[in-house]
Amino acid sequence: MKDKKLMKAAGTRCKTSQDMSRRSFSKKLMGIGFLSSLSLTSLPASALAWLDGGFNQREDLADALKVLVKTYSDTRPYPHKFYDALVKMHLSTLDFTVKKGIWKENADNYVQVLGVVVDRHIRKAIEKFGKDAFLWGIFERTSCSYQLYEHIDIKEGERSFPCPYKTILEQTQKTMGTYTITWEDVHHKWCMPVWNGFAKSVGIEIKVEPGETCRVKLI
Amino acid sequence: MNERRNFARQTLKWGGALTLLSMLNLPGRVRAAGPGNPLQVLKENKFLQRDDMADALKSLYMTYDSTTPYPHKFNDVLSKGQLRVLGFLMKKGMDREYVEHYVMLMSPVLKRLKKLVEKEGPDKGLWGMFEDTPSYQLFERIDEKQGERSFPCPYKGALENCKKWMRAEDFFFEWQDVHEKWCIPIWTGFAKEIGIKIIVQPGDMCTVKLA
Repeated sequence: MKDKKLMKAAGTRCKTSQDMSRRSFSKKLMGIGFLSSLSLTSLPASALAWLDGGFNQREDLADALKVLVKTYSDTRPYPHKFYDALVKMHLSTLDFTVKKGIWKENADNYVQVLGVVVDRHIRKAIEKFGKDAFLWGIFERTSCSYQLYEHIDIKEGERSFPCPYKTILEQTQKTMGTYTITWEDVHHKWCMPVWNGFAKSVGIEIKVEPGETCRVKLI
Repeated sequence: MNERRNFARQTLKWGGALTLLSMLNLPGRVRAAGPGNPLQVLKENKFLQRDDMADALKSLYMTYDSTTPYPHKFNDVLSKGQLRVLGFLMKKGMDREYVEHYVMLMSPVLKRLKKLVEKEGPDKGLWGMFEDTPSYQLFERIDEKQGERSFPCPYKGALENCKKWMRAEDFFFEWQDVHEKWCIPIWTGFAKEIGIKIIVQPGDMCTVKLA
């Protein structure tokens, strides 16, 4: 109960979504944790294994930086970004599963496979910190999202981010023309079933507003 | 007055030419930015002109600052995501069709590459398959030799981590299946469209050579 109040206080302390940057949200969450270390340590250690301070000990940053430079030097036929290949992987899989009529099974499989992570980290975090921890868990907490979305804007009970699929699907169709899926298919046959699937698994309801900036809100 | 102006004009004219000559005589490292006008180099450098790097750096930081239960890398989600799909489709017996579909999706790119190969030789095919597409975001690094490309396998560690930290029934397949049902069929499919022949030597360090 104390943790819930503290987390809510952290949320209301940030007046605008610009104040609540990804980094400052995590700092505030960890700040709450330090004040209530007992409840935090009752979360699985792996739930805390995020921004765990290992950056300075990494010896494999050079390759990552080189790929980043290569990516951002690549501007034809459009400016490439760090999530390019990941987005194309999702799109090519969706195109195949839609053609074969198995897109729902694909989304269900994704929810089921990642259900392990939901059970391990997110369920307990929701119990401790409230429903907003669900959005934390499926967005800023997981590499599945922070390696996919350019940035995630955080508000209490809401997350929003630029859609990573729209531009790439448009450009890919323009230069290649081999995909048959539409942007609406991406919303209705991938993103929404996946997020609703996660929400259902933890007994939460969400509302998704797809768009160039996609918005996911707790109901 | 006119003499002064003429003198200035002459000075600038010959001064400009002399300046150009002396620039051409500059040590190579001063001109290392490349041929042409060095004043344009910064403007022409596509990386340096990007104004959307902040988010990319933040994502990189978040990735590399997460080291438990294993050190995360930039290609984590892509490699694990591919493994998830492979497992899903293997269970349905649709992995082969998935590969064929992917080669089909890439066919316009492969056709363009074929023309390049006809013009510039088969090594261009390897360049196109690995370095020229965003698939370089899958490999931590790509070592280039004439007629050969090699790279650390992005799937081995990812599969081991998935088997350890996720449900065994979802990652029931072996590393060899990744070679035989995904990588090798994809690359040989690409190579066939491009008009080159390759030999794939899968391993911790995977090597793809022109045959």
